[in-house]
Amino acid sequence: MAICEVQGLTRDYGNGRGVFDLSFSINQGEVFGFLGPNGAGKTTTIRHLMGFLKPEKGYCTIGGKDCWKDRADIQKTLGYIPGEMVFFDDMTGIEFLNFMMKYRKVKSNGRTKELLDRFELDPRSKLKKMSKGMKQKVGIVAAFMHDPEVLILDEPTSGLDPLMQSRFIELVLEEKARGKTILMSSHIFEEVERTCNRVAIIKNGRLVAMDEVEKLKAAQARKYVITLENEEAAAAFAGEGLHVFEVSKNQVTVIVQNNIKELISVMNRYPVTNIITPNQSLEEIFMQYYGGDKS
Amino acid sequence: MINWTLYKRGIQGIWKMLLIFAAVITMYFTVIISMFDPALGSALDEFAKAMPELMAIVGMNPVSAELISFLEAYLYGFIMLVFPMLFCILSANKLIVRHVDRGSMTYLLAAPVKREEVAFTQMKVMVTGIIALVFYATLIGIVNCEISFPGELDIGKFILLNIGVLCLQLFIGGICFLCSCIFNDSKYAVGVGAGIPVLGFIIQMMANAGKELEKAKYATFFTLFDSDGIIAGELGAIWGILALLAGAIVLFSIAIVIFSKKDLHI
Repeated sequence: MAICEVQGLTRDYGNGRGVFDLSFSINQGEVFGFLGPNGAGKTTTIRHLMGFLKPEKGYCTIGGKDCWKDRADIQKTLGYIPGEMVFFDDMTGIEFLNFMMKYRKVKSNGRTKELLDRFELDPRSKLKKMSKGMKQKVGIVAAFMHDPEVLILDEPTSGLDPLMQSRFIELVLEEKARGKTILMSSHIFEEVERTCNRVAIIKNGRLVAMDEVEKLKAAQARKYVITLENEEAAAAFAGEGLHVFEVSKNQVTVIVQNNIKELISVMNRYPVTNIITPNQSLEEIFMQYYGGDKS
Repeated sequence: MINWTLYKRGIQGIWKMLLIFAAVITMYFTVIISMFDPALGSALDEFAKAMPELMAIVGMNPVSAELISFLEAYLYGFIMLVFPMLFCILSANKLIVRHVDRGSMTYLLAAPVKREEVAFTQMKVMVTGIIALVFYATLIGIVNCEISFPGELDIGKFILLNIGVLCLQLFIGGICFLCSCIFNDSKYAVGVGAGIPVLGFIIQMMANAGKELEKAKYATFFTLFDSDGIIAGELGAIWGILALLAGAIVLFSIAIVIFSKKDLHI
């Protein structure tokens, strides 16, 4: 059953910016990864889902209710992590969390404390004196503390260290197991790989691909940059029949899909001095799968 | 229609500002009332006679020896117009547009609270502040007069004068609040929201100053607050007060509707 539906959503900011005829739906209990480069229209889409913006064309619904008309109603069972954390300057973390609970008219439950412990957050300092990571944690607690049914998370782990990122992934997995529906925009592969059922990628405001994460993982191609002792060796290495992406001086970049053993056996025969795997963005990996520039 | 948690938070936010304005009002009221001398004409009247143009600009015309006229001329022509107006400008900015501009409005709207309710609550905070300031001034005026000149002050007329100022300030507050709801950028909201009342006030000062500029008074809503007329018990002055009140209600209503319908890039 579709909990969240976006149908023909359009908002034209001019100069090709905005979102155009965007459609997708998220099922109950599903974690939906929402990916795309900066400025692709992810946050604009999320603003429509939150009822901050009125669609120029099309509509979006959450739980069957219209995101613009019934926005306050939808918010009862919605948790949100904004892309940018801006709180009220003069409050401490705990004052803010208590304020939000009362403001939402929710009775305090044990969940806030549990979340604070989970993220090892001491909320007693002033929000404006907090580091980016600490603010992010406050935002996470604020989004989950009222135990919402639907979560909209805009780059939820930005500013968190790897340990906290993995704690966050655990939290998302637990919520998923409890049947919560989650839309998450992210740039971090591990986060998406471990949590999402499906992924959509948008570029220039248009949906360019949407598929299951399992398929993406199966087709995941990795780049390796292999440094050899000299240029001759590099040239010979490049001639071994591997999928060579690039040769520059004594460095060869190869793309490996499932044939990692083949790469290892070839490397064994050459004077390899170093091997690195450059960081690939999620979008890059995804777009490779879809055969390069499909937009 | 009102979220008490947000209201409480709003009052906490303007509390310090109110205290400062109350202190300024206390100081002016105490000093100026102490200068009143029913027998000899006050020291201020000497000023007014010495430099009538300058004093006229700030609404301080030489008056009769009555205490109420004295207060009207020296406190309700400048002090009680400018300081509450400043409060309106600052609080309107703080309550709506600042949250939109910075982005903290996100958290107020990412909750099951209607936008109408958010705007209405913030309006209530501002109106509470305006009422508190004028009420405080009324009180401090009466107390000061009763201590220094027992029985001299026409308290009924003084209260009516303050109701007039209250409605004027609510109208100004309505302009500032409307601008705060229309614009997404603090600097435009303050620019226009402060610009309109300040311009209105300057036109009023010019109209006060010279005979040839007297017609300019029709170009400013400050004319609706006719303090001389209120003291003289003119009916037109009462209509002016009612017009200001009605205008304030309209301005605040439009502000809430606009805020509820607009796109927010937060």
